[in-house]
Amino acid sequence: MATIHLPTALRKYCGGAADLPVSATTVRAALEELERSHPSLHRNICDETGAVRRHLNVFVNSDHMRDRQGLDTALAPGDVVTILAAVSGG
Amino acid sequence: MPDRVLLTIGTKKGLFVAQAPGSRGKFALRGPFGPGVDVYASLIDTRGRRPRIYASSCNPFFGMKILRSDDLGKTFEETKSFPAFSKEDGRALKNIWSLEPGSDEQDLWCGVEPASLFRSRDGGDSWEMVAGISNHEHARKWQPGAGGLCLHTILPDGERIHLGISTGGHYLSEDGGRTFAPSNKGIGVGFAPDPFPEWGQCVHKIARHKDAPGRLYLQNHGGFPDRPGIGVVRSDDHGRTWRSIAKGLPSDFGFPILVHPHEPDTVFVLPLEPMTRTCPGGSPAVWRSENGGGSWKKLAGGFPQKETFFTVLRDSMAIDEMKSPALYFGTTTGQLWMGREGGEKWSCLFESLPPIHNVKVAVV
Repeated sequence: MATIHLPTALRKYCGGAADLPVSATTVRAALEELERSHPSLHRNICDETGAVRRHLNVFVNSDHMRDRQGLDTALAPGDVVTILAAVSGG
Repeated sequence: MPDRVLLTIGTKKGLFVAQAPGSRGKFALRGPFGPGVDVYASLIDTRGRRPRIYASSCNPFFGMKILRSDDLGKTFEETKSFPAFSKEDGRALKNIWSLEPGSDEQDLWCGVEPASLFRSRDGGDSWEMVAGISNHEHARKWQPGAGGLCLHTILPDGERIHLGISTGGHYLSEDGGRTFAPSNKGIGVGFAPDPFPEWGQCVHKIARHKDAPGRLYLQNHGGFPDRPGIGVVRSDDHGRTWRSIAKGLPSDFGFPILVHPHEPDTVFVLPLEPMTRTCPGGSPAVWRSENGGGSWKKLAGGFPQKETFFTVLRDSMAIDEMKSPALYFGTTTGQLWMGREGGEKWSCLFESLPPIHNVKVAVV
């Protein structure tokens, strides 16, 4: 099992949990699993088209997913997918 | 005397609520509500036994939300769901620009970016896209204005529904929202070869009064020297045809337009210099017509006389419904002004709020 680690702002959409276990073997499948198990949480991370929101970053362990295979990045047991808001705004 | 006057102030950093006694003597401010993100739309819904406040929460990180308060803006919670396109549609919500009451207490309309219309029949907990305009044959051809491709004005009038889209123009439904057609004859543009196209106008705001059936006032994107007078127009036939009422104004560019709550012939605009979109000559003024746009009077009492260059956006001016109503407007530099006696006497209620996107008022 991999784990999705959530920022504080999103934990209210999954009962306060900071970490959610997923059985998926890619980032894409992990997000699809979230869409089924926690649709409100998923909508905060992805827009209606399924794209990860522009101002969010998704890391697999310490690597940004774009530096690996993006949504197709493989997940192994014990991996942590961390979702963080980007540095932006004013 | 009514209990109190309630203002909602949507800003770049969340929603503020200001409350004063019926005398409007002192406004107490609370907020900001929401996660510190833009609030482009708010609504004080006085149809029910207890007023409700709605506000959009336009979160660039986690998506668009709608906030709702049942305690006059002391606390807010998110509605159970939010307007959203279907996955198959291919569009994604970028912003929520307007929230308007529908036909009963639970009925709400919501205008969004990219320009589309949604409707809720349960006070905002579930939403359906209104296909008649959202999937209109023009919808994929509309161009965004500087603020985005927004459906910003929703004016229900029985089975008629008037919509303002920037940049799409005025669209009219006469069958309760099932179908819409562009209705812009006489509304000009300054950014296309054809000065009066069928659609594609950059409409900024539309206003009507329930006691003047068929009449509409519209602030358009004016300010074009080669096409003077296209910026402020009026219709007397439910928006089928329009004519200029800009003569006498210092500029026909502006964003908001309002009608007096008790006098359908009295209309207010806030002209801006078209290049900078700030107060002409650095001297702010609201302009009022008491004859439906036939002539205009400058209202500047209480404003600085010079060196003032603020901008007031399309939803940032409102008027209350007291016997002698006051106007309110917010600026993109964070000032909230109130003009007593129909705009004759202006004073600044708050000087240093975040940039203001919208202002609504209700007497409750």
